[in-house]
Amino acid sequence: MTKETILEVRKQFEEALNRAKDPASLEKVKHEFLGRKGKVAGLFSMMGDIPPESRKEMGKMLNKLKDDLSEAVALRSEAFASGKERAKRIDYSLPGYAVHRGSQHPLTRAVDDMLSIFERLGFDIAYGPEVETDWYNFESLNFPPNHPARDMQDTFYTEGGGVLRTHTSPVQTRYMSSHEPPVRIVAPGRVYRNEAISARSYCLFHQIEGLYVDENITFADLKGTIELFCRLYYGKDVKIRFRGSYFPFTEPSAEIDVSCFLCGGKGCPVCKQTGWLEIMGCGMVDPNVLKAVGYDHEKYSGYAFGLGVERMVMMRLGIHDIRILFENDVEFLRQF
Amino acid sequence: MIVSTDWLKEYIDIDMPLDELADKLTVAGIECVLKETGKRIPEGVVVGRVLEKAAHPNADKLSVCKVDDGSGETLNIVCGAPNVEAGQRVPLARPGTRFTPDFELKKVKLRGVESEGMICAEDELGLGEDHTGIIVLPDDYEIGRPYNEYFSSGTVLDIDVTANRPDIMSHWGVARMVSAVTGAAFRKAPVDLHEHGPDIHDIAEVHIENTEACPRYSARVVRNVQIAPSPEWMQERLEAVGLRPVNNVVDAANYVLMETGHPLHTFDHDKLEGNTIRVRFAEKDEKFVTLDHKERVLSEDVLLICDAQDPVALAGIMGGTETEVDENTRNVLIESAYFAPGVIRRGSKQQQLSTDASKRFERGADPNEALEYARDRLAALIADLGGGEVAKGAIDVYPEPVEPKKVSLRLDHVKRITGIEISPEDCRATLSRLGFTILHEDERSLQVEVPTFRPDVEREIDLVEEVAMNHIERIPSMSRMTISVPEAYDRFHPYVTGIRNFFIGHGFHEAVNNSLTGEEAAEKGIWGYPPLKVMNPLSVEMNVLRTDMLQPLIGSLQSNAAKKRSSIRLFELANVIEKNDYSETRAEEHYNLGVLCSSPLWGLNWAEEDKAAGIFYLKGILHHFLDDLGFHYKLNENRNRDEFEILYDIVVRKSVVGKIGQYNEGHFEKLQLKYPVAVMELQAGKLYKWYSPEKKYTPPSPYPSIFRDMSLVMDKKVKAAAILNEINQHGGKYLVDCVLYDMYIDDKKLGDDKKALSFRLEFRSDTQTLQDKMVDNVMEKLFKQIKHQYGAQLR
Repeated sequence: MTKETILEVRKQFEEALNRAKDPASLEKVKHEFLGRKGKVAGLFSMMGDIPPESRKEMGKMLNKLKDDLSEAVALRSEAFASGKERAKRIDYSLPGYAVHRGSQHPLTRAVDDMLSIFERLGFDIAYGPEVETDWYNFESLNFPPNHPARDMQDTFYTEGGGVLRTHTSPVQTRYMSSHEPPVRIVAPGRVYRNEAISARSYCLFHQIEGLYVDENITFADLKGTIELFCRLYYGKDVKIRFRGSYFPFTEPSAEIDVSCFLCGGKGCPVCKQTGWLEIMGCGMVDPNVLKAVGYDHEKYSGYAFGLGVERMVMMRLGIHDIRILFENDVEFLRQF
Repeated sequence: MIVSTDWLKEYIDIDMPLDELADKLTVAGIECVLKETGKRIPEGVVVGRVLEKAAHPNADKLSVCKVDDGSGETLNIVCGAPNVEAGQRVPLARPGTRFTPDFELKKVKLRGVESEGMICAEDELGLGEDHTGIIVLPDDYEIGRPYNEYFSSGTVLDIDVTANRPDIMSHWGVARMVSAVTGAAFRKAPVDLHEHGPDIHDIAEVHIENTEACPRYSARVVRNVQIAPSPEWMQERLEAVGLRPVNNVVDAANYVLMETGHPLHTFDHDKLEGNTIRVRFAEKDEKFVTLDHKERVLSEDVLLICDAQDPVALAGIMGGTETEVDENTRNVLIESAYFAPGVIRRGSKQQQLSTDASKRFERGADPNEALEYARDRLAALIADLGGGEVAKGAIDVYPEPVEPKKVSLRLDHVKRITGIEISPEDCRATLSRLGFTILHEDERSLQVEVPTFRPDVEREIDLVEEVAMNHIERIPSMSRMTISVPEAYDRFHPYVTGIRNFFIGHGFHEAVNNSLTGEEAAEKGIWGYPPLKVMNPLSVEMNVLRTDMLQPLIGSLQSNAAKKRSSIRLFELANVIEKNDYSETRAEEHYNLGVLCSSPLWGLNWAEEDKAAGIFYLKGILHHFLDDLGFHYKLNENRNRDEFEILYDIVVRKSVVGKIGQYNEGHFEKLQLKYPVAVMELQAGKLYKWYSPEKKYTPPSPYPSIFRDMSLVMDKKVKAAAILNEINQHGGKYLVDCVLYDMYIDDKKLGDDKKALSFRLEFRSDTQTLQDKMVDNVMEKLFKQIKHQYGAQLR
């Protein structure tokens, strides 16, 4: 017996195993090689003829052969076994493979949720640039130069005379400049404010702007649309309050409060004990804005609204520090 | 703006609870919060009504009262006050009321009779020292209502004044709003002015150099004033609205400012050189020391009040130290002027100095009635408090009086905007209460004169707003909705949603990064765009706009690595900015997708070894992604970036639309990352222009596929992509797929310059079942071609 003999037996086994296509023929192969009078046993019986100096090495090889063959037969037998039989032998309690799980950022998720509501209400989606001209960001929206209203929004100015838009409202005048009425759009996007970064404010945030201009649009239409939106977004029991306010580009202007969904309007720290949460600003499009885009303000009227996404997300998720929304800590992101 | 409710009552009667009033004002557009400033009545004290009074059986000085607390139950209360009588409304402390942290009122027996509470005297509620009897409340107080809600002393309205309403920055303005919401009448305090001594024109003169900047300057002089602390009531009111009392003259000026909203200034008349006031613009770099003891360097934008020689005040902003009223002042010159809003705003901005005066002037003060009233009111107050006398007459330089605007209001226009009919009576009532004068009225319209304290009202729509805000709760919610159909609905958002869902589905977290970044990071941008600078940045780390998606994602990688997060898979969709010379804003925005992956292929598990995802994983993702969108693409190696081990330009339609690569292992050494960092950036906005969501269907072949494997040995330097390309080009019309499924390197068996690549080819026809022979012929030709081109051998 030599090493070659052992390799030969291994080769024969492999070929025989490959030919075995059912449990019966596998049993035959097992008998032929691993049986009491099988080929492996035959090799073991020849150990006596081996010279003592190589007996140890040959013994090792033979044992390895026996182990490998047994394992191969067992594996194949496993494959032939019925599901139930295998289930007895395989530990199916092993956990599933760890698949990577992705997530949508809570901000874009909220934007999507809100857009889908407005889309159902017949609004189209429009966009505008983040680096804006002074005309679109301010003047077209009835912010005269040197007017205190410009102080309402701390502005970043860019080289060459642009501004980082301080609101999504310039999309109103951009869209109207290139479309004839009726227009009915919502415009999501990033806006910027030159405010020191803190737990409560960040230098950028997301807004959704809404605009509807047509003949015979009134404040009552605005109320109806916003109430429907709030009921769809916050649930049907939400209470809504419109209160007067001021924005240069709408008149009359109003702020919209919803009853605090954390305390149900009883008063809590989130709503500062008022029972109300301020969620958006709105109003009837100022005639000067319609004039700026060449619309006949005696024929057309319309409403506009704008809401801050971060505020809504923070209130809903109970986030107290806005900065976490822009840190992209995977341990934060994976929660959504 | 803080308004004291106690002070407010001097100008208007308030007969509703203050919190209700605050709500009404808020809804009408004056956002305010009711706050307690000092004294506070303990909670649990309500308005009660004495039903019966009987003598105490065991004590002469006590009586036993039955008191209704509004809850439906009658409380039995023992009371020692001599003035208690049946029928009175009284402050009633119920059991459980906490007067101090350690004193809680409980039911007690007093001389054998149970007392279920206490009727309170002034001192018991911390309202004063009086203990001679209980407080008797007015008859219209609602029984059961917490007494706190009626308690006005020490309560203020904290008002968030909108930028268009300078008139609200005064007790007058708020009182007018109260009038509009409650209907009560607004009244001014009477001015009791007695003139004595010389005519003011003999002791002072005023010259205005620029009447556009200063349309009106009026003055009075009060002589022989005794400077002293102002009376307590005045000090209390000033403190309630957040002002620090100084002396009777200064306090009176502040008092009138807070009363009328008209800013005034008082000069020490004897310190005014030449007894003269001259209004002029500053010269460039002129210097002046303001009341806050700062020496200010002025620009020509700043309007000055000067005496015959020197500046004495920054007009409408702040006075100077030289002419300040102090304890030795005897004669006071009162300035009551009107300055152009733009001038004050520019001056205030230039000096970065915002004061109670400048805030009002820059929004627009009243050049007429308030100016005159404030001047006379202050003169009278100073004379009254300081024992002085008001010189005869007033100086009034007012060459071109500001006329009140006349605006007409069509009632159908009110309906057109609000959606409801508001009657002429309601319109008239609201506007008159707000101080507007109705000049003429018919069924269809009102002709309205706008008071000059309302500079914000100029147009018809402004009047609509005044009316609408006071009827906002009446406007119904329109429930029937009309739809306006656009020419075509937006398809960009669904496209972006598709991208987002693709990456979320592949296990990436969506990131949102700051668009503002530092110049250094922006210059490393993968596109090489010049960064657009922010002229007034928050910090140097945020002084430009980002030029790519990767640098901010690297920032996120660093912050995650610092927290030992080992698997970091992020993507973000946002605009990057390229500075150019031709856009109006010098900016071009590219809507891009950034992806960063430093993670294992699988999460750690029992069956698979811990393998890095890396560039090959990301290449697979890219392929799948662009394939989904229907784009053919090429990868061209880009050797311009040293920080990358490998970087490719992604080319679609002969144009570079993206980058994909993997950083050098050492590039992030400090972060001690477990996995290599592979990244990619795609111009999602640009691809959208070429993208069509329309897809055509191809009928799946009914015939089976034939598979063939081919293992080739070739030089290591031969690129796998080249062989794949070769196979795809020469595989014939039946080749539907080719997968590289194995790579084998064994320097001993194959030689140290060789490698073996195994490909599985799938052949199929749409019209027939393929014969082995046909496929064998193709395989043979293919092998010959590859052997010829690359010297490959079959393994």
